[in-house]
Amino acid sequence: MNFLKLDPLMVKRLQRFRRIKRGYYSFLILVILFVISLFSEFIANDRALIVNYEGKLYFPTFKFYPMAEFGQMDEYGFDDVEADYHGLKTEIATLKAEFKDRMETWDGSAAELLESEPRFQRKDNWVLMPMIPFDPYEPDFSYDEPPPNAPDGRHWLGTDGQGRDVLARLLYGFRISMTFALALVVISQTFGTIIGSFQGYAGGWFDLYSQRFIEIWGTLPFLYVVIILTNFFTPSAKMLLIVFALFNWLGITYYMRTEMYREKTKEYCLAARSYGASSMRVMFKHLLPNCLTPLVTFTPFLIVGAIFSLTALDYLGYGLPPPTPSWGELIDQGLQSDNRDKIWLSMSPFAAISFTLILVTFVGESVREAFDPKQYARYK
Amino acid sequence: MTSPILQVEDLKKYYPIRGGVIARKVADVKAVNGVSFDLYPGETLGLVGESGCGKSTLGRTLMRLEEPTGGRVLFEGKDLAHAKGKELFDLRAEIQMIFQDPYSSLNPRLPVRDIVIEPLEVHKMGTASERLDKVVALCRRVGLKEEVIGRYPHEFSGGQRQRVGIARALALEPKVIVADEPVSALDVSVQAQVINLMVELQKELGLTYIFISHDLSVVEYISDSIAIMYLGRIVETGKKETIFSNPTHPYTRALISSVPNPDPRKRRVQVAIEGETPSPVNPPSGCAFHPRCPFAVEACKKDVPALESFTQTDDPRHNVACIRKDEIEPHFKN
Repeated sequence: MNFLKLDPLMVKRLQRFRRIKRGYYSFLILVILFVISLFSEFIANDRALIVNYEGKLYFPTFKFYPMAEFGQMDEYGFDDVEADYHGLKTEIATLKAEFKDRMETWDGSAAELLESEPRFQRKDNWVLMPMIPFDPYEPDFSYDEPPPNAPDGRHWLGTDGQGRDVLARLLYGFRISMTFALALVVISQTFGTIIGSFQGYAGGWFDLYSQRFIEIWGTLPFLYVVIILTNFFTPSAKMLLIVFALFNWLGITYYMRTEMYREKTKEYCLAARSYGASSMRVMFKHLLPNCLTPLVTFTPFLIVGAIFSLTALDYLGYGLPPPTPSWGELIDQGLQSDNRDKIWLSMSPFAAISFTLILVTFVGESVREAFDPKQYARYK
Repeated sequence: MTSPILQVEDLKKYYPIRGGVIARKVADVKAVNGVSFDLYPGETLGLVGESGCGKSTLGRTLMRLEEPTGGRVLFEGKDLAHAKGKELFDLRAEIQMIFQDPYSSLNPRLPVRDIVIEPLEVHKMGTASERLDKVVALCRRVGLKEEVIGRYPHEFSGGQRQRVGIARALALEPKVIVADEPVSALDVSVQAQVINLMVELQKELGLTYIFISHDLSVVEYISDSIAIMYLGRIVETGKKETIFSNPTHPYTRALISSVPNPDPRKRRVQVAIEGETPSPVNPPSGCAFHPRCPFAVEACKKDVPALESFTQTDDPRHNVACIRKDEIEPHFKN
């Protein structure tokens, strides 16, 4: 991985990037948000973080516990389904309140009351729920009104049409969008760079034919292909990723091709060939590190494009299959005719998309500026 | 007499010009058009010609950086022009190149250590620590301090960069070095240092140089013999002294007379060549120099003159490609 080693020019560019505050802080915010979203299970979840039950500690985020474990039973009489931590928490709170009431009329000590009514012993158990105690899939029907319910202290951004917490869905949606975009960028940029480099370095017939192929391939309408494919196959994240990648690798080949064409005529490349360095060595050790500028400067904008297209596809209903939490699907709900007045449904994903895309764009602009050899140029 | 280390026989390099819908070949740029010469071990051959005459292409074709269209290049009996695979790889270690532009001939992303060590890595010579020792020794030899080997090319001056280029060319201990205008991009004061370094290295290591240049004063200083190129062909070869005191081909005469002489008392006849260099796509018939030659006659337009031994001088290696070489008066009277 020689080309990841930092040479002085790269160090200089990174320093320049750090000096462009807007882009640098946007980058930091994005990284922090993304890292946080990787731990979404600890932030927005139905399952408790820690349960202290009868003197034993449980960590339900990592493990499935049946209802029987906590002496629960659902309305159909099953006790082997997943424990209800909201119920457990409410039960403990109720017991505590009840115990307090009884103590007011009780003559003896607290210990005596516990002895006479052992069920109160359970009041000392406790449940620590995550910051957002809802997961993005479970509906919450505890309201009198049918969902979607407006934001309140329980659901900070309200619930969607199926009673699911909007904030939890936004958070998980962010993680999916970012992961999807990053995976797409890695796949398509790697593939595009390799193809483009070979085109530029080999030239000749390979370049001629592959370039014609790329031009024809590039005219295929992406959206229609996706719509046709989703009619035959159930869309999954993996399938969408492949389809996106099939259309996204083209862009970078143009730039890598021309960069290679230019760099390969330089004398350091001739020198490497003159002592018998293999084509692979010349391409990837000598030429590629000198051709990285378009790759680095285009990547943030490719991320913007990927997030936006995924949201658009989800909005149209050709994207990730339900019930995957996704921003596009939320916007779709918010724009349905009977939900037009429930603005938390459309405004929150809209704000989230705008915020994310603006941050990524800031990063992209700053990277471009940091890599610009004309340091004092101003583009308006 | 020793046998030549490198024999070039009728070497050709044509670049096709394609045109039309099906990219049919319509013409050739005859950059190197049948060049033959012998190179003797320990000597320096100065290859001189104006820009565009094909001297750089000749150098690159010898290095197999360009595929030759025809001809042979015999290095100690092995044909370099047709070698393939392992044979070519091994031959590459014997003949190395110093490049013209010290600013583009070093990869800006690699420190000097990595630049000089790479030929050794590619040819898997020695262990890692042996290679590093060798790099340090090479850098010292070319006049770079040991502590600079971690620096990057942009931290050096042009002359220092060219020293790095020389160290890289020497890394594989080649027998022949093709120097393609190694000092043209440098300041005059630095030129002298680099030339002197090359002369020292030649004495010390017994190197053989092909020194490509358009600067006659530099060539006169470093060369043992000289070959003059015009439009893809060699028009005259000979020992340095012969070429400078008895230039015979009309083109050589014009070139030599154009060298400024610092001695104001010495008079020379100035021969100005008129017109421009013809296109190598469509060179003039017969002797390519005839449209500009003051001695040209009808016969010059017919056949390409062969490079033949010129007997009027006592240099056995003096060859001239001119049908009137015996008729025209010697230019300089000794």
